[in-house]
Amino acid sequence: MSNEEILHAMVQRATRRRFLQRAGAMGLGTLAVPGLLAGCGGDDEEPTAPADEPAGPAEVPTASGRVDYLSWEGYDIPDAMKAWTKSNGIQFKTNYIANHDDIQGKIKAAGSAGGFDLTTYYQGYKQLYAQLEILKPIDESKLPNLENLDEFWGGDLGNFWVDADGTRTGVPWTWTPLGLTYDSAKTSELPSHYDLLDPKFKGKVAVVDDPTGAWAMAAHILGLKPDEIKKADLAKINDFLSQIIAQSSGVSPSFGDVTTKLTSGDAVVAFQGWTAINKFAADAGTKTIKHSIPKEGGFTACDCWAIASTADNDDAVYSWMNETLKPDVHAAAADYVIGGVTVGDAYPLTSKSLQKLYPAEQQAEALEQAPLYNNPPVESDEFVTFEEVLKNWQELKAGAEA
Amino acid sequence: MSATAEPPTTATVVAGARRERGLRAGPLLLTAPAALALLLFLIAPLATFAVYSFLTGSLYEVSGPLTLENYREIAESDLNRTLARNSVVVGVLAAVTSVLFALPIAYWLRYTASRWKTLVLFLMVASFLASYLVRIYAWRTILGTEGVINSGLGALGVIDEPLTFLVFNRFAVTIALVHIYLPYVVLVLYAGLAPLKPTYLEAAQDLGAGRVQRWRRVVLPLVAAPAASALLFVFVLSAADYVTPQFLGGRTGVLLGVQVQVAFSTGDYAAGAAISFALLAGFLLCYGLVALALRVARVDRLRFVS
Repeated sequence: MSNEEILHAMVQRATRRRFLQRAGAMGLGTLAVPGLLAGCGGDDEEPTAPADEPAGPAEVPTASGRVDYLSWEGYDIPDAMKAWTKSNGIQFKTNYIANHDDIQGKIKAAGSAGGFDLTTYYQGYKQLYAQLEILKPIDESKLPNLENLDEFWGGDLGNFWVDADGTRTGVPWTWTPLGLTYDSAKTSELPSHYDLLDPKFKGKVAVVDDPTGAWAMAAHILGLKPDEIKKADLAKINDFLSQIIAQSSGVSPSFGDVTTKLTSGDAVVAFQGWTAINKFAADAGTKTIKHSIPKEGGFTACDCWAIASTADNDDAVYSWMNETLKPDVHAAAADYVIGGVTVGDAYPLTSKSLQKLYPAEQQAEALEQAPLYNNPPVESDEFVTFEEVLKNWQELKAGAEA
Repeated sequence: MSATAEPPTTATVVAGARRERGLRAGPLLLTAPAALALLLFLIAPLATFAVYSFLTGSLYEVSGPLTLENYREIAESDLNRTLARNSVVVGVLAAVTSVLFALPIAYWLRYTASRWKTLVLFLMVASFLASYLVRIYAWRTILGTEGVINSGLGALGVIDEPLTFLVFNRFAVTIALVHIYLPYVVLVLYAGLAPLKPTYLEAAQDLGAGRVQRWRRVVLPLVAAPAASALLFVFVLSAADYVTPQFLGGRTGVLLGVQVQVAFSTGDYAAGAAISFALLAGFLLCYGLVALALRVARVDRLRFVS
């Protein structure tokens, strides 16, 4: 199935799901559902809420108390959620992560002792998180604003946030295509990822310490699917990534450090570049940092709100998630994190600069050029696994296999 | 005049015995909270991870049976060997450089600084208040492609192209680590020199010892033990560091501590524990070697005499 076919199928499914949600909200009841499904020709359609949940008008729980947040700094969207926090008297405790693996690490370490309520995950981690059982299923009936999600993002796209059985574990709220970020004062736009290997960029390429991201990018460039790379093909990825890393001055521990390298002249271009770097750099006074998707494309990272398995204040998390799906709040959040919107009605409310970065009319094209991928499988005899990718990356970083 | 000792009464004996017991129990009671804290927060986690290091790790879990597989993998891994070599090189360089720089500063503070002493000691302590990361980034600003050194040399016409060997390598990591640990080492050596009164040096001079001989035969033997402590302190912290190498180390300056951090953050507790204990074993070996060297040099039991 081509990307185009997948997109088409996703949109169709999402449209049906959205219709069902609205039908539920209008009080049509469950009896009408089979007929509607038959009418849509979809016998594989799943209910949107877990089977044991009664259908009914969506109602968001009342938020109160303390919310323990575990995710990236910035994803706590303080400005956008200021009114919500104040009006509900929420004590919002932030626990920032340094890299994505901190999420599962900290939730697993917290275990039954509890601790974290609200978290996020990048869609590629869904399979791992399902296996680790660190996410609670989300009751869609408690998220009336879920219907605000775009058709594309509202569906069970790749089981990233809605499982095959209809159980939702995430609410997609921001996305960004990863490509190349470069200093336009020092180089023109690079048409291809392979341009990074030009000797003139020796020591001038910034690479962020994101093993699964680098893996996805390399796989996509080489025309492979990151989650279906045969063990025999590992050498292809290694060969490409080791050449990229050899062009760098070392792997940066964070995107913040990538930004610093670009703005200080220690790097000219960043592999796995991110649009937010432009903003970080501009805030630091460098207006020449730009983002592009080369001809080979890239991959898209979509982050979802989720309820951690350690949560003890689910109601407040539902209220938070619901609030962020309001167009005005969503737009403010998108502007804050420099991310694409998943609520279509929020788009016109975003800043002109964000709209320039994420042209609405080019969304489908952008997502086709930079698709959403799964991480490598947790277990597989045939394909390279998640653990193997992590181990492999450490060796590449230290140059053992360069 | 002689005082006649009166025979102790039973009450006096009992009170004395109580006081003696109290004196014996006092230190135990005083150290109990610290000992308990150490047991709970150091010994227990160490023991747990010691066991983990002999188990099989999977994502965020460990399971039996006991195995030496983790240690075998460490021994056979090219990556770990590379990182261990980097750790030893950077650790030794940082430690030796720190002590070599700190010793004259401590000596100056102890014997020559006079009215500057308080100010310099204050500045030493004040440097601890600066954020670790800020100090690392300060070195990026100094050593970077468009940093202070390259810009300065470029402006003076000394170089046409920026010097690229200044940053993102072991050299940069070592410089930053020396900068970070130097104040600690100065304070340790200053404390080590504090009991060495100027009269010692004057006595040596009176006995015909020249400047070099005074250093070699009086100062260095007496300061050897604190210097060795400082050396080990910097070596252990530098060789196991995982922050500085990520920001300044580039590809050649990655240390073994980074591997420990990666193992734990990606859920391979067994491998992380095994690497940690391998590092610990290496450090204990270094401690033993330094202690042996002090003993062979017969400076391990030297004490200042008032």
